[in-house]
Amino acid sequence: MKKTVKGRWRLAVALGVVATLGVSGCGLNEDNSSSSGSSDTVLRIGTTTDVSNFNPLQSLSKTDSWILNAMYPHLLRIDENAQKAPELAKEYRYEDDGKTAVFELRDDFKWTDGQPVVAEDVKFSAEKIMEYKLGNVAAKLTWVESIEAPDATTVKFKLSQPYAPFAEGVGFWMSIVPKHIFEKAGDLSKFPNDTNWVGAGPFVLDSMTKGQRYVMKRNEHYPLAPEGKAAVSQVEYRVYPDVNTMMLALRNGDIDLMGTPVPVSAAKTFENDSKIKLEKVGALGFAHLTYNMKNKYLADQQVRQALSMSVDTKAIISAVLQGDGQQMAGPISPIFAEYDNTEIQPYPFDPAGAKAKLAAAGYRDANNDGFFDELSFGVACDQSNANITRVVQLFRESAAKAGIKLENECVERNTFLTRTKNGEYDIDASQWGVFDNPMDQLRSTYLSSNPGGINYNLLESAEMDTLINDAAGTTDPEAFRAKIKNLDKVVHEQAYLTPLYVENFQFAYNASKFTGFSPSPSDLLGMVTAYSLAQVTPVK
Amino acid sequence: MSAPVLTEQAIPPVAPATTRRSSWYAYLRQPTVALSVLVLLVMVLMAVFAPLIADEPSGAGPDVLQPPSGAHWFGTDDLGQDIFAQVVWGTRTSLVIGLAASLIAIVLGTAIGLAAAYFRPIDAVATVITDVMLALPTLPLMIMLAAVVSPSVWTLTLIIGFFAWPEVARLIRSQGLVISAMPYIDGARVLGATGWRIVTREILPAVVSLMIVSVLLTASRAVISEAGLSFLGLGDPDAWSWGRILLNAQRSGTIAIAWWQTLFPSLAILLLVLSATLAGMRFNDTRDPRRNGG
Repeated sequence: MKKTVKGRWRLAVALGVVATLGVSGCGLNEDNSSSSGSSDTVLRIGTTTDVSNFNPLQSLSKTDSWILNAMYPHLLRIDENAQKAPELAKEYRYEDDGKTAVFELRDDFKWTDGQPVVAEDVKFSAEKIMEYKLGNVAAKLTWVESIEAPDATTVKFKLSQPYAPFAEGVGFWMSIVPKHIFEKAGDLSKFPNDTNWVGAGPFVLDSMTKGQRYVMKRNEHYPLAPEGKAAVSQVEYRVYPDVNTMMLALRNGDIDLMGTPVPVSAAKTFENDSKIKLEKVGALGFAHLTYNMKNKYLADQQVRQALSMSVDTKAIISAVLQGDGQQMAGPISPIFAEYDNTEIQPYPFDPAGAKAKLAAAGYRDANNDGFFDELSFGVACDQSNANITRVVQLFRESAAKAGIKLENECVERNTFLTRTKNGEYDIDASQWGVFDNPMDQLRSTYLSSNPGGINYNLLESAEMDTLINDAAGTTDPEAFRAKIKNLDKVVHEQAYLTPLYVENFQFAYNASKFTGFSPSPSDLLGMVTAYSLAQVTPVK
Repeated sequence: MSAPVLTEQAIPPVAPATTRRSSWYAYLRQPTVALSVLVLLVMVLMAVFAPLIADEPSGAGPDVLQPPSGAHWFGTDDLGQDIFAQVVWGTRTSLVIGLAASLIAIVLGTAIGLAAAYFRPIDAVATVITDVMLALPTLPLMIMLAAVVSPSVWTLTLIIGFFAWPEVARLIRSQGLVISAMPYIDGARVLGATGWRIVTREILPAVVSLMIVSVLLTASRAVISEAGLSFLGLGDPDAWSWGRILLNAQRSGTIAIAWWQTLFPSLAILLLVLSATLAGMRFNDTRDPRRNGG
């Protein structure tokens, strides 16, 4: 009797297992049939969060820009070697001793409603950005006095003074929007642009389900694609807030590409997966420790230098990045090879030397607790950034050896952003995402007027202002380079910041289904630039 | 339920010493209780003697993401730090926050509960406040508060303690109401005892056992809250805690490849919470006269 009951149980379990397998098998089959039919050219990309703002002139979010940059063309793009390459603009030049920047546009870009992309669209986009101070491009248009569009393919920016990287900065950052659509919207600072999208990139948003997916349809006229239009008929962004889940989704075939880079520590995940390939790109920004000059002690150059000597950047690169990063000396990233001052060397890791330096500068440890009495600082960072939180942990331990007491103030992201904005930190440990040229970088990080809003030093130095403004007005390339190199050296000597590393990013994609990506450096661009998506082809 | 009212009345609030000892013995003799108490004891010892058991996890090592082995019992994380050391040091934070937060909750909850039970005018107000606090979505509120203040062990303790008192207050009040209706309280009042004396000398001893149960249950809830907040990145970034180990695993994307990094801290949380809850519940049972009588 007992036996039969057991037997029945076994049968039931076996049936259950068979049923589940059958169901999941069906599920798999269904999935296959739907993807092997007409829709096998859908490229599914994992993103981390919803689009917060669909207005390309206004949005500052990285994940927004992945989707918006595929819809709205830019004059220039950054290619795989971190160089500016033509996109909507065929070429650009300066006239009038650098006081006029001229862009020559292609004539074969088309909006998805059939209208051509013309110079008036560029003029309209720039003028509206200036009028409503939209996004980060407004600061780059500071010098513009007027904009002219003499014909359909020529745009002229008249500047109040020559500014060497004007065309590069504006060309790369500014989204071009369709005038005939956006001018009906009125106040563009309040225009949500969240429906009936018209774009001129390779893909344009068609529908979305918040929290789940953003479906983009192919633009049938995209001249930068090999066949005049992208080979992939549809791009679908799927939202995975957690990176672990996104990696599993890629392995399971739910997505074909991860928009976010794979954390170094997790690269092993794909080691034994023959379908998944990792593509490595460099960075356009870097991680850094920036010292708040409003702090009485951090305003002392000796203290900043001592702090720079207490960061073991080499150990950080080998531990946190598993060796996959580059050391830096000054604030100019080695990716801008022609501007990087190679004469300067990073501060050596030498806590004992740092301690001696501070003692010589008159700092005392009167209470004998192993720390200099006055030198106690908080290090603010974003708790959600895995690498930086690790860096702060290691920095705190090594600085203690130099007699400097650090408090780990890594907090939740929004709190961190608010504190950064209000200058409520002693030391800011963070990562600069994308600098497209060194001049813009130096202007936004060290000018006292703080035009880019990222002068995290809160530095107000007349000397630095003069040096930067002098360099900005220099039109001769040779002299310009020399001045940037000099600034690199000055910042290094002052130790306004301690650069930590330039990391490499690894993007994972399903190489058994898609190929032909044309990745650009940084995690802002990566594999998902308009140009890259237009080059992708399905694997036959 | 009305049954306990009757039976509580039959039992004098302070039992003779011999019965008390034997009831403790009976309590500890239950296998689940013995095990739970043992686990709790081990945890406390681990917290107290953490520096003797393992070095404080620091720096970075060459053995990155190693599975559990003789050298690293619980494996290593993506910096090459020993997970066993992290769990041991995490016990400190988790226990300190758990106990301190539950003490705050007990003190607040008992004070409010007893005041409400004995002083009628306070009751209406205190009950409304308690109900409102109970109806609040505590986790989002804790997250908000923790995000606003600088995260440290003490701020976390205060936040968790502050949100845990209403349950205690409600328990203590209901018991206190029963006690304060008893004849010996009337007797004390007739003899001229002040309200303060009656509450502290007559009613409080009668709810002590309930307080012990609450300490254990509240502490286990506090441990979970702490782990949750730390996992969300709202914990003390300088102190090791079980939640922080989980956060590290999640942030560095190693959950799928390094099971040991999530399993062991989760087990620690499970063990602590389970044993505290079991010990508390069994204690509550032993104190139940119906069960003892039967």
